[in-house]
Amino acid sequence: MTDMPNTATPRHSLLKPDARTVKRNRAEARFKSYGIAAIAVGLLMLAILLTTIIGRGVGAFQQTFLTLDVQLLEEKLDKNGNRNLDEIKKVSTFGYAPLMAAALEVKVAETGITTDLKPKDMAGILSKDAAAQLRDFVLDNPELIGTAVEFEFLTNSRVDGYMKGRVTRESIANDKSISAEQLDLVDALVADGALEKRFNIDFITGADASDARPEAAGMGVSMLGSLFMMLVVLALALPIGVAASIYLEEFAPKNLLTDIIEVNISNLAAVPSIVFGILGLAVFINYMHLPNSAPLVGGLVLTLMTLPTIIISTRASLKSVPPSIRDAALGVGASKMQSVFHHVLPLAAPGILTGTIIGLAQALGETAPLLLIGMVGFIASNPPDGIASGLMDPNSAMPAQIYEWAKRADPAFYERAWGGIIILLVFLITMNAIAVMLRRRFERRW
Amino acid sequence: MKDNVISETDVTTNQTKIAARNVQVFYGDTHAIKDVSVDIQDKTVTAFIGPSGCGKSTFLRCINRMNDTIDICTVKGDILIDGEDIYDSAVDPVQLRAKVGMVFQKPNPFPKSIYDNVAYGPRIHGLARNKSELDDIVERALKRGAIWNEVKDRLHAPGTGLSGGQQQRLCIARAVATEPEVLLMDEPCSALDPIATAQVEELIDELRQDYSVVIVTHSMQQAARVSQKTAFFHLGNLVEFGETDKIFTSPEDPRTESYITGRIG
Repeated sequence: MTDMPNTATPRHSLLKPDARTVKRNRAEARFKSYGIAAIAVGLLMLAILLTTIIGRGVGAFQQTFLTLDVQLLEEKLDKNGNRNLDEIKKVSTFGYAPLMAAALEVKVAETGITTDLKPKDMAGILSKDAAAQLRDFVLDNPELIGTAVEFEFLTNSRVDGYMKGRVTRESIANDKSISAEQLDLVDALVADGALEKRFNIDFITGADASDARPEAAGMGVSMLGSLFMMLVVLALALPIGVAASIYLEEFAPKNLLTDIIEVNISNLAAVPSIVFGILGLAVFINYMHLPNSAPLVGGLVLTLMTLPTIIISTRASLKSVPPSIRDAALGVGASKMQSVFHHVLPLAAPGILTGTIIGLAQALGETAPLLLIGMVGFIASNPPDGIASGLMDPNSAMPAQIYEWAKRADPAFYERAWGGIIILLVFLITMNAIAVMLRRRFERRW
Repeated sequence: MKDNVISETDVTTNQTKIAARNVQVFYGDTHAIKDVSVDIQDKTVTAFIGPSGCGKSTFLRCINRMNDTIDICTVKGDILIDGEDIYDSAVDPVQLRAKVGMVFQKPNPFPKSIYDNVAYGPRIHGLARNKSELDDIVERALKRGAIWNEVKDRLHAPGTGLSGGQQQRLCIARAVATEPEVLLMDEPCSALDPIATAQVEELIDELRQDYSVVIVTHSMQQAARVSQKTAFFHLGNLVEFGETDKIFTSPEDPRTESYITGRIG
């Protein structure tokens, strides 16, 4: 009689997965593919975003210029011939327009281009800002009066658009700003090499320009506005935020009051930025009578907005310093403050800096509160000179400037808005890269 | 008088350094230390033993008021060092902690150089007038921490780069650099291997020449090796306190006997 034990469950070979394992592995593979799909969608969106921004915005960095030899006639610009700057200033841009028209006429004659256009219409291909630029150049170099100079004139935005393919002969059928004959002239000048498209530094450094002269508009002044705002934010939000977090994290007793404060700081971080804008309008402008449109006010509003971000990240990095370090310091007889400032804060510093930079980057891209406090100033004049005027004079900010351009009718401004976005993104990416680098570099392991 | 507190009277050869009288500690509603009275002598190693959660570390932290940093912790009763009540409102805990050094369970050097680790205490207490005095203090402390020979060539290397046993001896050197009178050690060897443990134990025995050392330990062999006096804590009570030899050979309380023979804890 064989009395073998009954083996109800057959032994499974490890070489052949059972049904349960097969099912589990399939579920795992499925989950992995969902993840990969999600990342792929994200990357696709990013690629679309970047190609759109760059495709539409990169044109703004190029501008069409017409190089002409201009006779700076003494009898027109300095009648008395004594090179007195005050007298030269009396000649308005209208005094310069005929010089440009004449220069263009000479150029056309020289190159043998045949056109039916009158000299005045020929000059129509130049920007309305060209005369002002020539005047500024002469005022800077009065000794050149009476000589002939080679000058690069900005062309009209339609000509620029034609060079960039935005304007075509069909699209100008109803356009009073430019005619088909003028485009013929443009083609001829391009063939001659006098008219060409090239990199335009003024887009990055220049000031905004009026609706009629998009070709002269630049980001420079609003960049300064953003810079002054960031200085205000840094000078206020960093010390206040760090002091508040150190107190809350290291010194404050844990009770109902500090719990309420903590919850409210987290809530503030989620408050829509436009709420801070209307608060700034009510408090800083209507009640405290600080100047409208000033970067100081913008900075104050953005400080309010950035504080919760800085406090939250600072508290997180203070919390991540192991308590054994505090014990060690207290154990050798350091006071609470010494233990915080000698040991805890230096260890938390990279985290604090990272949080601050990310907070600043967030503030740099913020538009809504600036609209409410009027920081969409139209600044077509020279950039602010000095810190006081930088803080108190009306100005714009990069995102507000982009918004302002996007609003305008001329498609040339639309292109500049995209270009402005590229500049803004370059700043944001740089700041975030610095934050990541700091974190990598100073991260400590215990 | 509580029955379970057995006061030892026959060892009075040294003078009392720390005298605790009816010490009660509460963590919120939890009664962590129940009416502990004990006299700890100068130039003696006193070991606190007992199962986890019995309150021995809590009591140790009362002696340099480290419990002050825990919000919910309240201490009642008196602890006197050289006859002065350290819980008196006139006492600044910072000054107290310079006098009562502490070494923690996990080696916790500052993430700074070896030199700066040791020099930190003397610096903030103003013990050195100039650089060369500070150098002397650091050298003396590192020698007393029995680590000088290993680190003298790399004083400016980070303290966190040392091995676990070296880090702990560095922490001991850091604690003795401020010239304390009492040295509290909270399971100083629990994170160390047997060789490092032996080195630290040897060091503790040497430190006895100058300090009153109080050590909390989970290892009864260690208590037996390094201490002259032993206190056995159980559930917040000081069950038995006396000569180490006596505690380990002929304990009076049945709970002590159960613990050291491995039946409880």
